[in-house]
Amino acid sequence: MDPEERIQAASKFLLQSPPGEINDVLNDVRNIISDDESLQAGVLPALREYNLAQFITADVPGHQHQSIVSEAARIPSGSAEKEDEQSEDRYWDPRSRTSFRFDHLSLETSDPEHVEPDPESEPFRAALETASLTYLSSHYHDGVVSVFSTPGSASRYIIQIVANKYNPSNFWSGRWRSEYIVDTEAKQLTGKILLNVHYYEQGNVQLSTTHNVSLTLPPAITTSGGASAASKVLALIETEEGKYQSSLNDTYAEMGEKTFKGLRRALPMTRSKLDWDRVLGYKLGAELTNSKGVFGNA
Amino acid sequence: MGDLVDSMLDLMRRLPPTHVEENVASLVAMCPDYADDLLGSVDQPLKVMTDRATGKEYLACDYNRDGDSYRSPWSNEYDPPLEDGTTPSPKLRKLEIQANEAFDTYREMYYEGGVSSVFLWDLDDGGFAGVVLLKKTLNPSSPGEPSGSWDSIHVFEAAERGRQAHYKLTSTIMLQMVDRSIAARSAKDDSAAPGAKSPTGEKANGNDAKREGEVTLSGSMTRQTEQDFPLQDSSSHIANTGRMIEEMEIKMRNLLQEVYFGKTRDVVFDLRSLDDLEKARRQRELQKELVGFIKR
Repeated sequence: MDPEERIQAASKFLLQSPPGEINDVLNDVRNIISDDESLQAGVLPALREYNLAQFITADVPGHQHQSIVSEAARIPSGSAEKEDEQSEDRYWDPRSRTSFRFDHLSLETSDPEHVEPDPESEPFRAALETASLTYLSSHYHDGVVSVFSTPGSASRYIIQIVANKYNPSNFWSGRWRSEYIVDTEAKQLTGKILLNVHYYEQGNVQLSTTHNVSLTLPPAITTSGGASAASKVLALIETEEGKYQSSLNDTYAEMGEKTFKGLRRALPMTRSKLDWDRVLGYKLGAELTNSKGVFGNA
Repeated sequence: MGDLVDSMLDLMRRLPPTHVEENVASLVAMCPDYADDLLGSVDQPLKVMTDRATGKEYLACDYNRDGDSYRSPWSNEYDPPLEDGTTPSPKLRKLEIQANEAFDTYREMYYEGGVSSVFLWDLDDGGFAGVVLLKKTLNPSSPGEPSGSWDSIHVFEAAERGRQAHYKLTSTIMLQMVDRSIAARSAKDDSAAPGAKSPTGEKANGNDAKREGEVTLSGSMTRQTEQDFPLQDSSSHIANTGRMIEEMEIKMRNLLQEVYFGKTRDVVFDLRSLDDLEKARRQRELQKELVGFIKR
């Protein structure tokens, strides 16, 4: 494998990191590649891709809250004069009207700048944000939500939610991600929920789920509807996520009842463990009466 | 800098179990010098092969591999054929035949299907070692049906000490379950909602909702144990390891059930609460106020 292929393979490993374990995976990969120089430059795109896809949270400089670093939060590098990759890594937090530079390796923020919101979309975005924060505190233990408007559109908004729990001393971690695109013109709400849980005490067990949903928005929900329209959107999301979580419960029950039991019984039909002496006896007897056993040329 | 193999093993403990085969292949390509260490210590899903002589299915893993060929426990032949493939000594082969028969019965009793294989090999110190493999796959008859697979790998070492034998057992169970009917389950509530039946209804109450999704639980767990048993003749080894493996599988099945259906679910409900947390908070405050009021 040439060095470039090795970096590619390493990048693939990083993208598969369980919640909160990217540094552990990076340490392993560092040892395996044992070429820090080429690794550091080579895996930056993978780290960026991972952080954006996983809704990594960042401390907003100068503020007490966190915001989500994702593709929707990314500030497009304005001009071609900024050639270096680093200049691409600016993200904004609409809640505090701040943009910042984000380091994908250290996860640190710096260089805050004020961002003036688009006057047309900001009122409904802010209303969605308020409703989202209320919803978040109602159902998430440690969640972060960010609500973005779409550049050049006053009818398309993106709500992103992430909740993480990392408990390395008890060998588990988990992440809930959900994203909803609210389109008041097309009257559509499209969303996805992604769940990842890793349990790794003397083993490696992972739960991974996907869920996509699209539904029609009631006509009453318009951008001019303000706070009441925004809470209706969040009510739809609350119903959908609640339903999903209940059906996940049912799925657990179904898997336990059907799949798990279908793979291996807890005990044989006889409801007792095997009598190994008899198992051996029977087999010896069977061999005597039927000299042509399953063994071809034994 | 820590040991390279340790890093590779740590990595395999973290990356998704559903991708173990391609990740191991990738590590082998990156560090070909460590291929044997890695393949010897990372358990991968067992491959099902068909014995050419008997037509009976058997399992392939690193323990019955010689070069690119795998030995069948039924005919003792390698596939693809090998002129001088490693085989157990005639005495041990006799025991291997018996063990395969016995664990085939065990498989039928607990798995009601699936495939089993036992392979034994002589150790330099006079003892012997072996591996008991069991695999069952559930294939969905329709896309909505759940699917799954169970792979057991029990590696043991036996040392005879007069009329006693000492056994060391390392057991790994790989379990994977996939469910694709969760979307249908979330949609069930829609049709139960009043008014949901009118497809042209003005009010969007979810009856036009489109959903799709998948739930995958996958992984492996490993446990070790050591035990002494009395030894009457060589076939005692089969009953002894049989009891040990049966006990271990019962223990590990309970453990898997706890982790797969208990622990991972608890983490999900630790992330998001089905009940309204604000309401609960307000209720607690109200309660505190009431308690304070009564005390006054």
